[in-house]
Amino acid sequence: MQSLPELQRALAAALMAPDATPPDSIIGAGGMDAGAALAVYRNNVFANYRKALRDDFPAILALVGQGFFQSACDAYAREHASQSGDLNGFGAAFMEFLEIWPPARSLAYLPDVARLEWAIHLAFNAAEAAPLQLESLAAVPPGLVPQLRWHLHPSAVLIESRYPVYAIWRISTLAPEGNEQVDLDAGSDRLLVVRRGASVEIEPLALAEWTALTALAAGGTLADVHADASAIDSAFALGSFLQRHVAAQSIVAFQVPHDPNYAGRLI
Amino acid sequence: MIESRPADAGWLEVHSENYFGAGGQPHAFLEALRADYPLSLHGVGLGLGSPDALDVEHLRRLQHVIERYQPGLVSEHLCWSAAAGRHLNDLLPLPYTEEALDHVCDRIQRTQEFLRRQILIENISSYLRFRHATIPEWAFVAEIARRTGCGILLDVNNIYVSAVNHGFDPRAYLAAMPSHAVQEIHLAGYDDGGECLIDTHGTAVSNRYGRCIAKRCPVSARARH
Repeated sequence: MQSLPELQRALAAALMAPDATPPDSIIGAGGMDAGAALAVYRNNVFANYRKALRDDFPAILALVGQGFFQSACDAYAREHASQSGDLNGFGAAFMEFLEIWPPARSLAYLPDVARLEWAIHLAFNAAEAAPLQLESLAAVPPGLVPQLRWHLHPSAVLIESRYPVYAIWRISTLAPEGNEQVDLDAGSDRLLVVRRGASVEIEPLALAEWTALTALAAGGTLADVHADASAIDSAFALGSFLQRHVAAQSIVAFQVPHDPNYAGRLI
Repeated sequence: MIESRPADAGWLEVHSENYFGAGGQPHAFLEALRADYPLSLHGVGLGLGSPDALDVEHLRRLQHVIERYQPGLVSEHLCWSAAAGRHLNDLLPLPYTEEALDHVCDRIQRTQEFLRRQILIENISSYLRFRHATIPEWAFVAEIARRTGCGILLDVNNIYVSAVNHGFDPRAYLAAMPSHAVQEIHLAGYDDGGECLIDTHGTAVSNRYGRCIAKRCPVSARARH
């Protein structure tokens, strides 16, 4: 006689395998055989996984279609066991999966589109932050200003791709029935994904600005940010960069030196 | 709902896991609604009957939502949902045995201790049962409430669906429920799948079981999100 945990492990394994023999102890409802009863649950389990990924990756769905997407979901669910009763984090490894899943190999841009969609999903649920009042900089001794470190909004993610993923995403989610084409050789994208108010926004960045935000997100000081960005573009204007991103709430706080609580975030 | 704020909704029920994120629109909406309505938090992902260790991270996140919104009721399902490190993210039926009873009572007690409050358990509908079960489902539920002091969220639709699917009398189930423990009731519709009834919670309450429960339990207005 199987113990409860043994029975549950056997059932869990049978639910993931379409041709599994059901455990002996199952009696199906209303005259269904055990295999049919197990199939009801198997359908539910995979339907829940598919819905979670459909909700989080609508552009991928639009790009590859229902059948391909469902196969990808099912293979992903088998290989990357759901780790939580909350399905919000289920898709976190979908990008890595798409990079190595053989049927998706020829769609080289797909993992980066998934990365963009995941950043949007994370931004939607990220913590709030109050806007920074730039006037508070006036209270910092001028000698310390170059050493200041900065915090991006908790929702902010920087995405870089050799493909024009923003255009691909936009067309897939906003005009999937249309005829607009994307030239995959149109050049790389550098994007800031950030939630402003209630909406998640995607902002294309010039290389110098990308470099500045990347340095900032990595914990660089104002001096580091200026040095890195000026190396790309000698005309880089640090002051207006700061003002613009503070006003837009991409940057939400600064930190005086020697504060141990700083943490940057970069994808 | 944000705009209309219906007066005949006495309180709101939401899925706990939808509010496990740190911020953004879900919380903005819920905060706005919470100002006007009491709240019942209804979880689907804790897996009270699961064999693996209790998911402490899940409990912490749930506790955070409880502290933020001060709900009147917190509930979960009487089911299992994960094994061998894999979450199935569905509501799977337990075999109604003494072993399962001991296991789930222990888990409910530890959950109530962690959250420092009573939880309600909801009866699920099921499409299979187990040959080696020794306890009727209604006795299993009543005994859990007796041993742990947890409350019951009575899903009358689920009783009806399971009664048809497994051939028992729903009135026996209702009669066995300790009235003082039943603190919330779910009423919803089901789909007739031919071989069995499928709990979809997607259709209006059918007359037949509406009459059945009206005799037994008073019903108060509620809206569900």
